[in-house]
Amino acid sequence: MIELNDVSFSYDNKMIISNLTLSIKKGEKIGIMGESGCGKSTLLKLMAGLYRADCGTVMVDGESEPEKISRKVSVVMQSPMLLPLSIYDNITMGHKYNPKQVEKVVKMARLSSWVDTLPDRIQTYIGDRADELSGGQAQRIAIARAMYKDSEVLLLDEPASALDSENSKSVLDAIMEYAIDKTVVHVTHQSKHLDGYDRIYVLKDGVLK
Amino acid sequence: MSVLSKLIKNNRICIAVAVSIAILANLSQMIYMVYVGELVNRIESREQITIKLVIILVCFLISNVITVYLKHYFGKYAAEKMAHTLRMGYIGSLLKYKKNTDTGAVMSQVQNELSHADEYLSNIFFDITDLLLTGVLVFFFLMFQNVVLTLVIFIPTILILIYVKWSSRRLSGIVLKALDAKEKMNRVSYSLVHAFPAVKVYNGDEMCIGTYEKSLNSWGEQETDMERLNAVYNSLSGVLSRVPLLLLLTVGGYMVLKENIMLGTLIVFLNMQNTLKQTIMNLPSWISGFKVFITNLDKIHNLEV
Repeated sequence: MIELNDVSFSYDNKMIISNLTLSIKKGEKIGIMGESGCGKSTLLKLMAGLYRADCGTVMVDGESEPEKISRKVSVVMQSPMLLPLSIYDNITMGHKYNPKQVEKVVKMARLSSWVDTLPDRIQTYIGDRADELSGGQAQRIAIARAMYKDSEVLLLDEPASALDSENSKSVLDAIMEYAIDKTVVHVTHQSKHLDGYDRIYVLKDGVLK
Repeated sequence: MSVLSKLIKNNRICIAVAVSIAILANLSQMIYMVYVGELVNRIESREQITIKLVIILVCFLISNVITVYLKHYFGKYAAEKMAHTLRMGYIGSLLKYKKNTDTGAVMSQVQNELSHADEYLSNIFFDITDLLLTGVLVFFFLMFQNVVLTLVIFIPTILILIYVKWSSRRLSGIVLKALDAKEKMNRVSYSLVHAFPAVKVYNGDEMCIGTYEKSLNSWGEQETDMERLNAVYNSLSGVLSRVPLLLLLTVGGYMVLKENIMLGTLIVFLNMQNTLKQTIMNLPSWISGFKVFITNLDKIHNLEV
């Protein structure tokens, strides 16, 4: 499903990823740990097609062009990256409206009880209220967005790091419930978030160990 | 108001001297204008210009220069004394302050108010008092000279003032809308840059471009509306501001031709009309500035209680 072959990536003349090779099969759950600044997020962005490797190949679901890779994956970042639009627009990102699917992901992301209290429910504009949302609510919208895209590959970049323990557990449970048959790569610096994962790597000096 | 009363009470002699000199300066200016009118009347009626009249004119001109200098000097002195009293009173009350030991927090509470009040007292308070005093004196002086011509200036100026207030309220509404639209547009562009990875991964380019274009168009429309209204209101108020002078020339000229008044009287009005107009036009901003000043003083006062 995901193949990284002899991948290197540097930024500002600093080697971040060095000759990294990794193979992830369909449905596998992979955890990548490492200290802050070790290149975990960069590695994830290479897998998401957001960066182009300096050398080596990154292949996701048969695609090696970053533009095409982006279309094949769902990503949940540390920051929810919400847009000044309605909750609905933030979930669908302007794609075809499928009411049943929206309803389903809202429920799966554990947003229903909160959304039901809002004046315009799913159509509530969060542009002016993004700061009023709790970290948990904002991150759940980002998760619902990933669920709505329903890619085979789910890439997680510390999605719960900014949340308190209760919200963190709830968010991660929601993700794992959804991603039971998905290929998941989860980068984090907290090993407790990787319980039940198939493989856990540590990224150090640009190399996976 | 109690702080202002205390400030005035503590500096009553300085203020009394400053106000007296301001009145004297205005009276000197008015009497000078009366003699200028007299000079014009004599020229118009081809009467002889006496040495006595010339000496009086020169004396009042000199006294005018001196009193204006003294007015500024004593005005600034009185204002500075009041500001000094305010600062000393504030420091004194801080030293007596026992309820809250966190002096830094107490000071920061009214820091802005104190600096605004201090600035107002030092630079604005006496100038406004002087202009207000001048406006009132000029109004009664002109009424004494000729009631009809005074009303010819006064009534249109009041109507212009109402129009300016109305148009500025409408303009401030549209300015707020334009600012709001600009802020929204900036927020959208910032969000798009910030959320770029999400936009790319979730193929939201089209929606984002649409959202940005919508916010940009909305800002553009508000800006166009604002500029259009600005042009309309400002050009109209520019024209209207000349109406009192035009009416004065028309009515005054007619009265001179009909020999109801002398040309000298019209000259006095032409010279003084601007002072009266300026006083009336600036009155609302002075009142709002004074209200802010009083509110700031009240906040400082409430701190010491």
